[in-house]
Amino acid sequence: MSAVFERLRSVFQDVFPNHRGEIQRTTSAKDVEDWDSLMHVNLIVTVEKEFGIRLKTSQIAKLQNVGELSDLVEQVVNQ
Amino acid sequence: MSTSPLDLLNQLWAYVEESHPRSLRGLREAREIDPAYFEGLAAKFLRWAVTARGEDALPSIIDAFVYFSTDVNMAQARYELAGNYENKTFAECDAALYQAGGVMDDYLWGIYLTNFLWAHHLEITKLYEERYLPQVAPNANLVEIAPGHGGWGVLALDRLPEAKLTGYDISPSAMVIARSIAEAAGVGDRAKYEEKDALNLQEVPAEIADACVCGFVVEHLEDPQKLFRVIAHLLKPHGTAFITGALTAAQIDHIYEFRNESELVLMCEVEGLRVTDSLSVAPRRTLPNARYLPRSQALIVQKKAGEIW
Repeated sequence: MSAVFERLRSVFQDVFPNHRGEIQRTTSAKDVEDWDSLMHVNLIVTVEKEFGIRLKTSQIAKLQNVGELSDLVEQVVNQ
Repeated sequence: MSTSPLDLLNQLWAYVEESHPRSLRGLREAREIDPAYFEGLAAKFLRWAVTARGEDALPSIIDAFVYFSTDVNMAQARYELAGNYENKTFAECDAALYQAGGVMDDYLWGIYLTNFLWAHHLEITKLYEERYLPQVAPNANLVEIAPGHGGWGVLALDRLPEAKLTGYDISPSAMVIARSIAEAAGVGDRAKYEEKDALNLQEVPAEIADACVCGFVVEHLEDPQKLFRVIAHLLKPHGTAFITGALTAAQIDHIYEFRNESELVLMCEVEGLRVTDSLSVAPRRTLPNARYLPRSQALIVQKKAGEIW
C-alpha cells in the first residue's frame, strides 16, 4: 500500500469511528453504514486538510471507493 | 412503449442504489416525509423529465442531481470554515454559471430533482401545492420570476386548468429547459418564457399578475430588496405570491447571506406585501459540529391594497 493510502486509512478511521471492518481499496459506501452524501463531504474536507490540497466537485462526486479517493489524492499531491 | 411513472421511480431507486449509494439516505428521508405525496410528485416530475429529454435520460439527470448535491454540501463545508459565502458578486456567478450552456443545463436538472429528492425541499413543494396553489384562481395570470427549470410554474399550470404563465429568466439555457418541461407536461400553450433580468421587470406593466412565483432567487442577488419591489410592482392589489429563499445555506451562486427568517419577512413588508403563511425547514442531517443550520424558507404573501389593511 502507498504512503498516501496509509494516511488516508487513518483519516478514514477518524471520520468513521464506528466502522469496524478492514479499510481496503475496494471499501465503498455499501460497506460503511455512515458513509452518506454528507459524511462524504466531511471525509473530503478532512482529507483536504490532511494533505493540504483542494479537490473539485467534478473529482469527488463520482468516487466509488477508497482506492479511487487514494488515487485522486496521489494525483493531486504530485501535480 | 413508454415507461410508466412508477417504473421511472423504480428505475431511479435502482440506479441510485447501484451508482450513488451515498445518496440513498437522503432519498429515504424525503420519502418518509409523506410517502404518497413523494411518489406522486416524483412520478410527475420524472415523467416530465423523460418526456422532455428522452427515455434514456434518467441516469444523466440523476448524475446531475448527485453532482449538484455534492457541490452544495462542499460549498456548505467551505462556508463553515470561512464564515462567509464564496462568491460575492452577481457578475461572478453570471459568467461562471448562468451564461454557460452545458454547465447550466446540469445545474438546472440537478435542482429540478431536489424538489422531491431533498426532504426539506419536498416539504416546501408540499406547502406550495397544498396551501398556496388552492388560493390561486383557476384562470389566474401567473408570473414566474427567474423560473430556472420551470418546475414550479408548470406545477401551477398543471393544477390550474385555465391559468396562463409568463416566466422571465436571464439564462437562455433555463428558458429552453423550462419550455421543454412545460411542453412535456402538456401546458406549453399556456406558458411563455422571455429572456429578461428579474431586476429589470419594473419595465413590464404594473399590476398584471394575479399570482407570482419566485422560487429560490433572492439569495442569488446582491440587493434582494429590489426583487421584492419587483414582485409588488407586478402583483395586482390583493394578488398573492409564493416566495422562497435560502438562509445560511451556501451554494456556488448564493451571494446574499440571509441569517434570520425575519429578514425575508421584513423585505416583504417594506414593499407592502403581507406575509400570510410561512415555513422554515432544514435538512434532516448537517455536517458534524456545524455552526450554521442551512434552511429553506417559504413565504406566502398578499399585496396590500391600502395603507392599513
